[in-house]
Amino acid sequence: MSFTLRRMSRLWFCIIWLLAAPAFAKTTVIDDSGTLPYNAALAMRWAQAVPRGGDGLLMVGQLQLRLHLNVAPFQHHTGRIFLVLPMQQPGGMSASWTTAGRLLPGAVQSGGRTLVYSGPITTPFIEDTVQLTITVDGRRMLGTYPVNFRFEIDED
Amino acid sequence: MLTHAPGPRLRRARGIETPARAHRWACRAVVLASLGAASGAACAFTATLTAAAPKAIYLQIGAGTFTGGNYTPIKGNGQPTGTPGKNTTVNTVSVSVPAASVGNGTAQTMTTDSSTSTSFWDGYSFCNPPQQLYIGGFYRTTGNGTGSISLIATVPASLTDGAGDSLPFSQISWTSAGNGDGNIAQPFPAGSFTSTSLNVGTIGQNQWAESCWTFSYSNSTVPAAGTYTGVVLYTLTAP
Repeated sequence: MSFTLRRMSRLWFCIIWLLAAPAFAKTTVIDDSGTLPYNAALAMRWAQAVPRGGDGLLMVGQLQLRLHLNVAPFQHHTGRIFLVLPMQQPGGMSASWTTAGRLLPGAVQSGGRTLVYSGPITTPFIEDTVQLTITVDGRRMLGTYPVNFRFEIDED
Repeated sequence: MLTHAPGPRLRRARGIETPARAHRWACRAVVLASLGAASGAACAFTATLTAAAPKAIYLQIGAGTFTGGNYTPIKGNGQPTGTPGKNTTVNTVSVSVPAASVGNGTAQTMTTDSSTSTSFWDGYSFCNPPQQLYIGGFYRTTGNGTGSISLIATVPASLTDGAGDSLPFSQISWTSAGNGDGNIAQPFPAGSFTSTSLNVGTIGQNQWAESCWTFSYSNSTVPAAGTYTGVVLYTLTAP
């Protein structure tokens, strides 16, 4: 292979690598281990006292979190942060939340994710107080279920 | 990627590492290692869901109590308007048989002192007092079953007067209906006090059930003159 061809191959390799790199680094789980409480017990109660009507089978629980996201690895970058509620037992869940303003309020269904922040990451940590409400079909509540959430960032 | 996690945990395990701190180190290790695609749920905060007070029952024979109004309409925040409460009223069903008619076999319709006509479900005028007595309730439970619970009536063998005379409770029966129900089967159907312990109806899981009873005295015996009384106890039990 000639010197010119070798240089061309390296150039193409670099171009392909630069194009492919963002795709590999697209979504990253954020360290939220500073969140308190990190493993919270949540008492689910009937949303309506009387079992009749469309929403008569829903159970609701509320939890206040001091959210602490370690975004230091993404500082000085721009990204979008999502709250993810993976598919898991007992199923048929949804979550909604309000915030103190640092993050966006929103709602998410099992298996989905919802945007809570978009813009430049200017600090190593993002903190907020979140009032989380979880709703589940009472017919699925046959025991105790640890429900996992996570935060993901899509770097722009 | 996950193989990075045990590193910090093992090193600190020799010291005074606590499980929570170990978890956080594991979490951070995964984050550092996961500069590519999103990793698993190692960094997930967890809410452990447990049903609190998952079972509830409500029973109303005659008078009942809902505070704040009927159950419906549902308010804008999704909560019912009224909530069930406790009512200790014991209603009476009675009939006075004219002396000339005693024991002639012509049934005598009984009336109640209950004035309850509307259903607390929606305020619908479901029963017609004093001829009809409201009977209803609900059964709340978790799980995906199709079970039901029974309403049991505990009945004395006889009604008695102050003089020691008695009258069989089996002389009393009832029909069941409800305004707007037409001919549909009632959850608390017609019957009579033929036993000291009777199943007088069922309530399905996560359902509201209600009927209106019209009592009747069969008037087929000739008891001694007097006022005969007896108390029926209705019991609704969730397993």
